[in-house]
Amino acid sequence: MTKAPPPVSTMIMRGIFEENPVFRLALSLCPAVAVTTSVKNGLMLGVAVFVVQVLSSVSASALKGIINPKIRIPIFTIIIAIWVTVMDMTLAAYFPVTYQQVGLYVKLIVAFAIIISRMELFSMKHNIVPSFWDGFGMGLGFLVAMVLAGAFRELLGSGSLFGFEIVAFKPLLLVILPAGGFFTIGLIMVLYNWVDLRLGHKLPEEKVGGGCHH
Amino acid sequence: MVPAQAGRGPGDAVMSAQLEQQQAPPNATEMMRIAVGLTLTCLAAAIVLGFFFYLTEPAKVRNIQAREQAMIQTLLALTPAARIHEVRRYLHWKGQTLEVLYLTPRALVRVDEAGNPLDTREVPAEVAAEKSPDHKDAWVRQSAGAGENANFNYAGRFFIGEQDGAVAGYVVEGSTPGYKTWIRYFLAIDARFGVQGLEVIEHEEDPGLGAEITQRYFKNQYAGRRFEQIDAIEVIKDPLPNDWRKRLEQLGDMDLDSWVRENRAEIDAHPQIHAITGSTISSVAVTNGVKRSLRNFRKRMRIVEAYL
Repeated sequence: MTKAPPPVSTMIMRGIFEENPVFRLALSLCPAVAVTTSVKNGLMLGVAVFVVQVLSSVSASALKGIINPKIRIPIFTIIIAIWVTVMDMTLAAYFPVTYQQVGLYVKLIVAFAIIISRMELFSMKHNIVPSFWDGFGMGLGFLVAMVLAGAFRELLGSGSLFGFEIVAFKPLLLVILPAGGFFTIGLIMVLYNWVDLRLGHKLPEEKVGGGCHH
Repeated sequence: MVPAQAGRGPGDAVMSAQLEQQQAPPNATEMMRIAVGLTLTCLAAAIVLGFFFYLTEPAKVRNIQAREQAMIQTLLALTPAARIHEVRRYLHWKGQTLEVLYLTPRALVRVDEAGNPLDTREVPAEVAAEKSPDHKDAWVRQSAGAGENANFNYAGRFFIGEQDGAVAGYVVEGSTPGYKTWIRYFLAIDARFGVQGLEVIEHEEDPGLGAEITQRYFKNQYAGRRFEQIDAIEVIKDPLPNDWRKRLEQLGDMDLDSWVRENRAEIDAHPQIHAITGSTISSVAVTNGVKRSLRNFRKRMRIVEAYL
């Protein structure tokens, strides 16, 4: 039973704006807060999640014929774990320096809510190509969120961007601390909602989850 | 289970039928299908993982070796032109008797438990040039006449830094039980068995507490001490004096020899290791590890010295 998929552009924009995993769905907030102390770290985790999301969505869609609904959760977990391990091995082999910084969080991707929820909500009901684009959009949305939050925090917290010094002082040290991470994400959420209101949409109250879903 | 009731729409009936089917225990066919599905998924997973492991493992091993080489270079203040040799140690139980084997760049040295030499064997050039530790270990295992299931174990290694044809120092790889798991470290040792420096490679101590063992102010406390000083060293809980801490943090920015020369009096004036605030266990663990590594290295070096 496959549903007709929305157009590709809609699926990609949905991941970045309307259903952005971090700013709209409030999923995976803990790693988002922990990693986004600099653009570089945010970017690395964002890329890792992007790759895992796309591959997992495609795999779940490809295997949906043999996945019995009663045991779909363990199978999803196996699929995610495979691609996370592949990502982990690839980073360790070819990007050793960055791996030392974000290695711990890469392993944690297994438990990210956003990935398993897209498999459950989309891949199980759609074919491989639409699942690819859904994963692409959602992964990109997470990547954008990581870079945005990372840029905001690095700029205000350490006065630099991508490790290059922009100003010689630290404008607002608070934002680099864990509490500042939540403030940052809250502020960007406000921005998202404000833009949405200006565009004439209603606030998606029922969509916003909350809490610390990995 | 929701019983289908009168007055409900046809949609409800379908829903409850589905619900009933989902909640019923699986029959044999379904169980079979679940098992086959799971097996296929796991098989595919194994193939994917195996393939990527095969693809990435050599690069990962190269990265680790490059990192180790860089660390040894820094610890011994070697130039990139310097050569680093490895000596590997093995234990071989033959029933009740223990034999120890050392693989140096030139020879495979076999000694008994007390360290008396039994025999030596020349190392073929291709084994000496071999990068992969597994191949070296396999050659030693074969040379020692140890079968697949014999009690034959790899038991640690150390490195010799050679600068312009002369030995510049040694680096021992060691590990010590920390607060949670093993703390792995590289200990740089000079020709007279004094400590040149310490680098913690791997640990799982708590951030802000035990993890401070990687900080200069802690690990540099061992640098520049002679063998006898380290052997008698104790860990004390007194806070680290500020001026001593400042001096400790300079090592790393300046080279060891001039740092030791400049601070000889200070080093001797602080014969004890100051524990990290709140982390006596980690501090004592590292200190015991350094002491043990140094004593063992002195014993082992006497055995292999002639074959380096």
